[in-house]
Amino acid sequence: MNRLKLVFSMILLLAVVSCGGGKDDQSGTTSSQKFKLDYSTHKLTEKLKWITNNNEPLIASSKAVKGGTFNSYIQTFPLTFRVVGPDSNNFTRSYFLNNHMSLMGYQPNTDKLLPELATHWAYGKDGKTMYFKLDKNAKWSDGKPVTADDFIYTLEFMRSPHIKAPWYNDYYTREIASVKKYEDGVMSVTASKKIPDLWLTLNIAPTPKHFYGELNENFVKDFNWKTEPNTGPYILKEFSKGKYLLFERKKDWWARDYRYFKNRYNVDYFRLTVIRDVNVAYEYFKKGKLDTFAATRPSVWHEKANGEIFDKGYVEKLWFYNDDRRPTWGLYLNLDREIFKDRNLRYALAHSINFNKLNKQILRNEAERLNTFYTGYGKYSNKRIRAREYDLKKVAKYMTTSGWKRGADGIWEKGGKRFSVTLTYGQSLFTPRVVVLKEESKKAGVELNLELLDASTSYKKVMEKKHDIAYMGWSTSFRPAPWQSFHSANAHKSQTNNINNMDDPAMDNLINRYRNSGSEKERIILSHKIQDMIHESGAWIPLEMVNFSRSLHWRWIKYPDIPGYKTSSDIFSYPAAGGFFWIDKDMKEQTIDAMKSDKTFKPVTRIVKKYK
Amino acid sequence: MRINPLTRDRIKKFKKMKRGYYSFILLAVLVVVSLFAECIANSRALLVYFDGKIYMPTYGDIIPGKTFGLGYDYETNYRDLKIKINDEKLNGFVIMPLIPYNPYENDFKEGKYPPFPPSLTEKHYLGTDKTGRDIAARLLYGFRIAFFFSIALMIMTYSVGISVGSAMGYFGGRFDLYFQRIIEIWSNIPSLYVIIIISSIVIPNALLLLLVMFFFDWTKMTWYMRTAVYKEREKEYVLAARSIGASDRRVIFRHILPNTVSIIITFVPFSIAGGISSLTALDYLGFGLRPPTPSWGNILSEGYEHFSAAPWIGISAIAALVIILTMVTFIGEAVRESFDPKLFTTYE
Repeated sequence: MNRLKLVFSMILLLAVVSCGGGKDDQSGTTSSQKFKLDYSTHKLTEKLKWITNNNEPLIASSKAVKGGTFNSYIQTFPLTFRVVGPDSNNFTRSYFLNNHMSLMGYQPNTDKLLPELATHWAYGKDGKTMYFKLDKNAKWSDGKPVTADDFIYTLEFMRSPHIKAPWYNDYYTREIASVKKYEDGVMSVTASKKIPDLWLTLNIAPTPKHFYGELNENFVKDFNWKTEPNTGPYILKEFSKGKYLLFERKKDWWARDYRYFKNRYNVDYFRLTVIRDVNVAYEYFKKGKLDTFAATRPSVWHEKANGEIFDKGYVEKLWFYNDDRRPTWGLYLNLDREIFKDRNLRYALAHSINFNKLNKQILRNEAERLNTFYTGYGKYSNKRIRAREYDLKKVAKYMTTSGWKRGADGIWEKGGKRFSVTLTYGQSLFTPRVVVLKEESKKAGVELNLELLDASTSYKKVMEKKHDIAYMGWSTSFRPAPWQSFHSANAHKSQTNNINNMDDPAMDNLINRYRNSGSEKERIILSHKIQDMIHESGAWIPLEMVNFSRSLHWRWIKYPDIPGYKTSSDIFSYPAAGGFFWIDKDMKEQTIDAMKSDKTFKPVTRIVKKYK
Repeated sequence: MRINPLTRDRIKKFKKMKRGYYSFILLAVLVVVSLFAECIANSRALLVYFDGKIYMPTYGDIIPGKTFGLGYDYETNYRDLKIKINDEKLNGFVIMPLIPYNPYENDFKEGKYPPFPPSLTEKHYLGTDKTGRDIAARLLYGFRIAFFFSIALMIMTYSVGISVGSAMGYFGGRFDLYFQRIIEIWSNIPSLYVIIIISSIVIPNALLLLLVMFFFDWTKMTWYMRTAVYKEREKEYVLAARSIGASDRRVIFRHILPNTVSIIITFVPFSIAGGISSLTALDYLGFGLRPPTPSWGNILSEGYEHFSAAPWIGISAIAALVIILTMVTFIGEAVRESFDPKLFTTYE
């Protein structure tokens, strides 16, 4: 599921690149030669109210102990260690990025900013600037201090044509106007315009100036396999191409005793071994060569996770309910199709989708139904909206209102046309699901023709808006971003994310106001209205969301009673992201001995419902 | 109909080859049966007697549930109807087919998750797949599709392969030389990869798949036909036909072709087996017919996926494949034996 999310977020990013990039070629070629960046020290004139959130609740447990090697796996070896430029958007990138700290952190439970590389921050009067006091202890992994220059250098780096990353070139030119250095370790970042959630854009990460220096056209090649100095808890220690990556905890990491970082990042090493097949990886896990295994999918949790190692209590199970923004899995109707021009038919289709049966029979009643397009966005989510239920009477009502009749084969007909539409999807994993939907919608008099395509072909078809109905989901963003999905500027043309071809002036108006508003209150109201309109349009039929993550782990892996933030989807996969778990060495020895002498323990399945 | 005494001998010889002959009869019966698959594996009843009226819902339009007082507009669930008639002691009866499930419907159970093991009481004789569809029904319908698919493929490849091959043998010379080179190049195209590439770009349906497979398969027959015709055209009857002014086409198709038919016939069973296995292989790899079409390859890949948890899926599909392909091979063997020219022809 997570890999899937990742793929979709990559796709989303690509889509943004292809619809956003292109015309700003001049900005792409901006280089330090053309626009000299200002590395000089300014005098701070503005009176600022400094903020620091030092008393936010903690997740980490004081019981945590340091030590041990955590073994995990990746399916492919990355093509580069760079985090920007060609081939960098790969699965392993997160392991590197997690070790690049930004100015501020974020506590999802309380929705508060936390100090990271900056100890304090303040908002400027112009509404576009934020000021930061840099942590004087902050150091790069090579021992050099982190300075404001490294943040100014981020702009130089990200705007350089040599990194061959047009999206970043564009983003750091269009969104961020400047980074300035002041006396006493103070710096500021200024956005190019007033925007809501200003911190989200301005919370940049430093780039080690002393490491990269002046970039040249060989950057992509020269730095392909270089380990960039970082500011986080781990650094890549050794690797063997195609085989493994080994990260080491920095023993004298500058932030190790900080309140928010204490008792975290406990394992001394984490090793990512390349195992190309998930089933093979599971066999490794069963032998104890991997410490944890993701088990969110019912097929792993219910079917694979049985047998001796579980019955004898060597391996434990964790079921963690989370509360996060949800990907928008559902059926996307193409409103440019003649048959979907009639809203009654869209409603009728929605009422012929038997989600409950799908959930009960295929998803083991473990999924929940999405109701609104932006679910899990806190106040921005419109919680009044309810997805249309399977209801044959309502189908009949909508269809007869529009003058359709049931044909001899039970399918609705009008003027020689049948209510027969194609459902395109891109994963064979979904076949059982759509088979159920098809059989159930037949009862409602709607014929769904299934079309399984290979993932990229399916994506291409949908992006070219050639589908009738597409079963897919977009990954999430921090706030609802309706412009890309529902604004008419993105309708009727290929390679944009408005795959419904939604083209409604009233919707455009709401979206424009939402985008231009600086007031959170107004944006929340507008966001609700937009979701109401999406619901009324019937263009998107919400399907499943999975509100938990599940893992299997050997019993020596320990974690706090509440193992993660409310938005955590992966408790163990990224030791440098949450890093709340630890390895109990004594217990590991005890377990290995027990396995030899056939001693057993009580089987354990922990279910954490705090954020359900 | 007058049967050529040579053919009569051949048939007699074929009948003597017991395993080939019985395989032929069995396969013929299977093919005929599969033509009426709707009467054997179907969720629609064969016969319903209700309120003094007789219904035969197997073919034709759907009969909505309210006809039988079930209160819904969609198609009657005849299994439920049967239970209802029994339970409420209503005046009527329902005769269900042997396998009371169609190959598309999901038979789900409360609190349990498919695949379900074989069960005589549930009438899932070979169990269900992972979406609760009856495997026996899917095998039967899948057989029909695969068999007629390979017949169609064979007709197409043979008509082109035989024509081109005969022309090559008959005309000889440059025409032969050029075509030989073209076919050599053609048959070096890795067809499986091309099919995989094509089916990831366009959306393959049965017809397209047929065309693509035909595109690569037609070359096989050309070589045999070329050799046979090369030999035949030197014979006297050909000379005779030409001397009375028969056109080339007439000579090839009226005179030479009937004399090479034994070669063609011996290849037929193997071509059918080949067609079935290539379609199954493509389906298995996920590049064949689209879901939810019942297909053996699809069942096979599900069987692989669930082999430890649900062995009946894989076993059913493998057994079906082995049985059908063995039968076809037996037939092929018998045909080849009985058409052996050494038995009935004498060389001058």
